[in-house]
Amino acid sequence: MPLHSSRPDLLDPAELASLAGIDVIARFIVDGFLSGLHRSPRKGFSAQFAEHRPYQPGDEPRMLDWKIAARSDRLVVKQFEEETNLRATILLDVSRSMAWTGDKSRLTKLAYAERLAAAIALLLLRQRDAVGLVRFDAEVRSSVPPRARRGQWKRIVAALSEPGAGKATRAGAAFTQAGRLVPRRGLIILISDLLVESEEVLGPVRALRGMGHQVVVLQVLDPSERDLSGRAGEALFVDPESALAVPASVADVRAAYHETVATALAEWREQLAAAGATYEMVSTDAPFGVPLRRAFAARQRMP
Amino acid sequence: MIGFLSPLWLLAALAAGVPLILHLLRRRTGAAIEFPAARWLARAEREHSRSLRLRNLLLMLLRVFAVLLLALAAARPVARLPGAGHAPTAIAIVLDNSLSASAVVNGRPVLDDLKARALAVVRRAGTGDRLWLVTADGAVQGGTAGAVGAAIARATPLAGAGSVAQAVRAAAALAAAAPEEAHELAIVTDAQASAWPHRISLGGVRVSVYSPDAPPPKDHAVVLAAAEPPLWTPRGAIHLRVRSADSVSYRITLGARTLARGIAGPGGDAVVHAAPPERGWVSGTVELEPDELRGDDVRHFALWLGPPPAVRVDSSAGIFARDAVAALEHAGRVAAGNDVVISAADAAPFAEQFAEPHSKPHPEPYPEPYPEPYPALLLAPQPPVRIGAANRTLEKAGIPWRFGPARHGTNPVTGGPRADVTLRYLLLPAAGAAPAETLATVAGEPWVVRGRGYVLVASPLIPTATDLPLRAAFLPWLAEMITQELSPAGRAYEVSPGARLARPAGVDALESPSGSRASVSGDSLDAPPVPGVYWLLRAGARAGAVVVNAEPGESDLARLDASALEGRIAAKSVIVTTDAASFDAAAFAAGSRRPIGAWLLALALAMLVAEAVASSARPAEAA
Repeated sequence: MPLHSSRPDLLDPAELASLAGIDVIARFIVDGFLSGLHRSPRKGFSAQFAEHRPYQPGDEPRMLDWKIAARSDRLVVKQFEEETNLRATILLDVSRSMAWTGDKSRLTKLAYAERLAAAIALLLLRQRDAVGLVRFDAEVRSSVPPRARRGQWKRIVAALSEPGAGKATRAGAAFTQAGRLVPRRGLIILISDLLVESEEVLGPVRALRGMGHQVVVLQVLDPSERDLSGRAGEALFVDPESALAVPASVADVRAAYHETVATALAEWREQLAAAGATYEMVSTDAPFGVPLRRAFAARQRMP
Repeated sequence: MIGFLSPLWLLAALAAGVPLILHLLRRRTGAAIEFPAARWLARAEREHSRSLRLRNLLLMLLRVFAVLLLALAAARPVARLPGAGHAPTAIAIVLDNSLSASAVVNGRPVLDDLKARALAVVRRAGTGDRLWLVTADGAVQGGTAGAVGAAIARATPLAGAGSVAQAVRAAAALAAAAPEEAHELAIVTDAQASAWPHRISLGGVRVSVYSPDAPPPKDHAVVLAAAEPPLWTPRGAIHLRVRSADSVSYRITLGARTLARGIAGPGGDAVVHAAPPERGWVSGTVELEPDELRGDDVRHFALWLGPPPAVRVDSSAGIFARDAVAALEHAGRVAAGNDVVISAADAAPFAEQFAEPHSKPHPEPYPEPYPEPYPALLLAPQPPVRIGAANRTLEKAGIPWRFGPARHGTNPVTGGPRADVTLRYLLLPAAGAAPAETLATVAGEPWVVRGRGYVLVASPLIPTATDLPLRAAFLPWLAEMITQELSPAGRAYEVSPGARLARPAGVDALESPSGSRASVSGDSLDAPPVPGVYWLLRAGARAGAVVVNAEPGESDLARLDASALEGRIAAKSVIVTTDAASFDAAAFAAGSRRPIGAWLLALALAMLVAEAVASSARPAEAA
């Protein structure tokens, strides 16, 4: 599909990724996404008054609107459009399982996730939100603290360009790191294939939710992982992270596998919902606009 | 039962092991593939292990059966299909109605059982089938099922062995030559071992054999009854032999009277000497008490009684012949006279005797008028220079032999008396000669020949030509030549029922024991099928006898078991059974075997379709 004739956020991810680097592609995606919203996501650029909200312990006293306090004996805080209240951290799983695709014509899960992370970051930065990035596998491989200032985008893009796809996934450390990076309530976006034990994710999610964070989990899966498509005959299926080897005949187990995957995804959705997180499964052949909209919706629910 | 036309294709069934091996080795086959979601795959197998296992087992079985069915179909199977009837079949039924089949077992003749089985085969025949009945005597009855069935019902036991082997061969040839699709041979026999002496090759017919499983009855039989010598002058002996497990009493009859009674031991011989007053040809029997096989309890014989022949020895015959005849005359075996002349072939008295046939009436009991020249025992002349004269004399006398070149060298006599011959003359048959009988040979060449009214010896009876005159066998041999071979009384021929024998010279009729006469002509005559003594008639006078008796071997009722009998028959397929139902079912089995390859292919296709359905079905559904 020609790029000029359509919104980039709805293009085929692999086709779009072949056009340029992560930063350019992210801009394409975000621009296309915002044009689709038909309104600006931002509340303004200037330091203009926007609204009052009730004072909460911890608010700086200088932000109190003393005139209203004098007239009505209520403590309210003035909010300005240019104020940056949201601190978002994107947790990107760069484990070895992410560097896999079931079809050479598709992006690997990691490539897809990196472009998605860049687009989300750019979208948030354009809202004057502070955005950080934590890349992890068995440990935190790199982190960019959340910032809203200029240059943050480049740092994030630079971090995304670092090599990844190393070892096994261990999300707990990444969540802990994210908690340290976002001491105040914020948005945590986990992008992973979630091919881990559920408690490795659910425990930290509950902890983050307890801290008041909004958690969005985007599970990135290759279509072949969902239905064993593109495979045939007898094979020994080896998990690159755990070395788990499963001999199977694709024809024999395809239907059972499909059923099991559906069950597993439903379990993730249910458990994460129970933990207070927002869950979305993202297929690497889906346009970037789909998960981006999900992340944006989560952001919009934030104050 | 299933048969295969291309059984080598059954080896392809080994391919059925492939899906089985793949099933067993499945967990160890296939390339390693990196797959991050392997944990879900493991979980799927774990959660659906039962259904997957059942489904895999079902698929494996379907594939194995499909391969097996394809291999079976390739082997071109044929099988009997229920309700399919049978293809048009040419079936020849051999009914062994030899004498042994008349034995009574469990109160019923064996032949009745055999006939029942043969009729059962006929009843199963359809309108498209071709049937024959061949009995042990070689008689063939073909036609419709009704005609063959009637022939079976009419069949009676033979008085002798017949020839089951020849009947089987003839029946196989009939069936094989028929245009029908299937060719079968149904044999019903008592499996008498002596009737199946050798393995019989029957080609491409299918053979089913029924033989009763009951053991043969105990039997005693007269296996020898002979007058010794056949011509009594006028005394002799009856030599008899019985086959029996115990001692058995016998009776010898001569004419209408009992000649003697006695007891013969188990398997023993008995010799009864007698000098009966009868003259001429007389018939007699040796009889035992009746048992389960009646046909061999009586054995017939014939003998001739009369005065000893009168012999004249010419001086040309030599002193050894003269002295021997004198000894026989002294013993009363011969008398002096002109009935028989012993002479060298070139001797003048002999020539005159042949040139002027005897005109005076011959004394009884010789046939009257006696049409032959006086009998003569002719010897090769002692001087070699007389060979030419001897040949001229032989020519003048009408004797169809000539002396040829002399043969020197010592050689034993074969077929005659125990002696060596040093000098002999090659006997050459004259052109257009009447058939003659060779009584003895030397080095494969005739040495003693016999013709009408003469016996010709190729050597002179002197020690420089043969040591026969010096041997003890000389006197009996000379007596046999005079009293038997040269006797104008004729001979007794012992034959089996229906056997063919050369017609004796001058014989023109055959008289049965009941007195009826049948004329005979040609070079041969067939012995009557009923045992007894039949007289050879020459111009109305008895000139010998045909004694018809069952073969002694027919009294040996030992049977072959099923496997041994099966080993005696080589055919496309051979089934030997003692079970009547099995035999009945085996008949027309060749015609009822239809190809079932198409059915197997259809079944294999169904298996493959089922396999495809099962492969594409969800595990839970497949299970």
